[in-house]
Amino acid sequence: MRIVIAEDNVLLAEGLQLLLTRAGMEVAATVADGDEFVAAVARHRPDVTIVDVRLPPTYRHEGIRAALAARRDRPDLPVLVLSQYVELVYATQLLAGGQGSVGYLLKDRVGRVEEFLDALRRVAAGGTVMDPEVVAQLLAHRHNDPIDTLSPREREVLGLMAQGHDNTAIARLLFIVESSVNKHVGNVFAKLGLSADDSGGHRRVLAVLAYLNNQSRTVP
Amino acid sequence: MLLSVVLLAAGSTIIAGLGLLALPWVLLALRRWTDWHRRLAGGLLATTIPTRYQPLSGSAGQRLRQMLTDRTTWRDLAWSLIQMLIGLPLAALALVVAVGPPLTVVSMLFWWVPDEPVHLLTGVPLDNWPSAIGFGLLNLALMVALGLVAVPPLARGHAHLTRALLARPAAQQLAERVETLTQTRADAIDAHGAELARIERDLHDGTQARLVAIAMRLGIAKQELAGEPGLLARLIDEAHDSAETAMHELRTIIRTMYPPVLADLGLAGAVHALAAQSPVPTHLDLGRLGTLPAAVEAAAYYAISEALTNVAKHSDAGTATVSIRQAGGWLRTSITDDGRGGADESGGSGITGIRQRIAALDGTVQVISPPDGPTSITVSLPCGS
Repeated sequence: MRIVIAEDNVLLAEGLQLLLTRAGMEVAATVADGDEFVAAVARHRPDVTIVDVRLPPTYRHEGIRAALAARRDRPDLPVLVLSQYVELVYATQLLAGGQGSVGYLLKDRVGRVEEFLDALRRVAAGGTVMDPEVVAQLLAHRHNDPIDTLSPREREVLGLMAQGHDNTAIARLLFIVESSVNKHVGNVFAKLGLSADDSGGHRRVLAVLAYLNNQSRTVP
Repeated sequence: MLLSVVLLAAGSTIIAGLGLLALPWVLLALRRWTDWHRRLAGGLLATTIPTRYQPLSGSAGQRLRQMLTDRTTWRDLAWSLIQMLIGLPLAALALVVAVGPPLTVVSMLFWWVPDEPVHLLTGVPLDNWPSAIGFGLLNLALMVALGLVAVPPLARGHAHLTRALLARPAAQQLAERVETLTQTRADAIDAHGAELARIERDLHDGTQARLVAIAMRLGIAKQELAGEPGLLARLIDEAHDSAETAMHELRTIIRTMYPPVLADLGLAGAVHALAAQSPVPTHLDLGRLGTLPAAVEAAAYYAISEALTNVAKHSDAGTATVSIRQAGGWLRTSITDDGRGGADESGGSGITGIRQRIAALDGTVQVISPPDGPTSITVSLPCGS
């Protein structure tokens, strides 16, 4: 798997390089700003990219802009965005295109090497990965909401769906059999009034996130 | 005849014009003159007579206008008029006391020189040695007595008058002090805010990045040791957990101190982000926002964030509205909902936290929450300009 990294912090760039090459992946280029990133993507045709949100020159949200710019040229370019903090607005911007192959994670997650590599592979394969904190922000402070009617297990399943896991992965993460997951997913969709879709793909994540982001606003 | 009238008119116009041209120098001379008197009177009263002219800057015309609009200039002028009425007679008296004794001595000794006999204060002519010596000494005694008894209190009285007229009135002194303090406080808040933003940046680029790098390497080490029992594996496991906890704690601290989203998107962008993640549909009404001190932005953001959390938790509201306006040196933020009201400030509602944070910046918080709603929280923060 060929990877292009946009990370201006040398310590982190080196760490990522070590981690990825150890896993048998090829780091085609490590660049330090958005323009270089767009150029490197055009030159190396990577299978997946990793982008830090804060990049020079302003160190604000250049990374998001660079990721969106690169995806204008190549809409299915897999992008995993890393950040020191997560904000729903950035997640929404990244998901807005609707193509999938998008990930948005806290940098903290890189330390959990297996989970991080798994997320990277899912993004490369066209999946969507959302940081649990984004999902937590969406689930926070809800009242008079159909989500209240979910059982604790169903809430867990909903959270993992929103993070981009498919049913097999959810079963593994919750230590339950996949048929139970299918049942929970069915219940969640029924209770929230979403059209059933057990593919575990990007459309399901979008539907769940869109629900979490908007549904309560139409409920009186 | 006509010519002379025209010449006269032209001449007086020129003189008046010259007078006008000389006005800045006259006013500057007046300042030096009154300052000298402030020092004299201050010296006599063993005090300092404070005053402060508005600082002069800009072109000659601007300087002249600044001098003419300075209230101290007009007090100086009023003092000069009174000085003419009171100062002149007092100065004459002082002159008599100063010059009188030597003149008396000369008259005593040389009474025989002039043809007409000399008259002193007593009015008796000095026409022989006994009268010259006797009345001369009497005259001398009167002069010295006058100098010792009358002059000091008169001088002090004059000094008091000068102080009353030339010192700034207490109310004005107080107003100026408040103005100075307001300015220095605004500067301090500015500096504090810049410092917060810098610390956030330093922590992000330095400490946070280092922690991530440590966690990353520990993660790789953990993988290398996967499945191996023993002390080393356990220590690395524990170190990895600690690094994760530290990252989480640091992120929480930074978010309360200066939310990174503020640094990245500014107040308007950050409030959009808040509204987007609020479970209660939130309408935004943002006025034009100029440059704001970072501390003010952070406090306003904190208040909005807390208030929206309250709306979601307690109000049962269908919608909320956040409005932000910047005008007349104040940033006014109000968060209104259509919920059930009756907000309880004592019940850990977060309003106490908002009040403390806003009060630290000299701002005010107004909570209106009748029992049947709706609730409205208005936060006003001074923001310089």
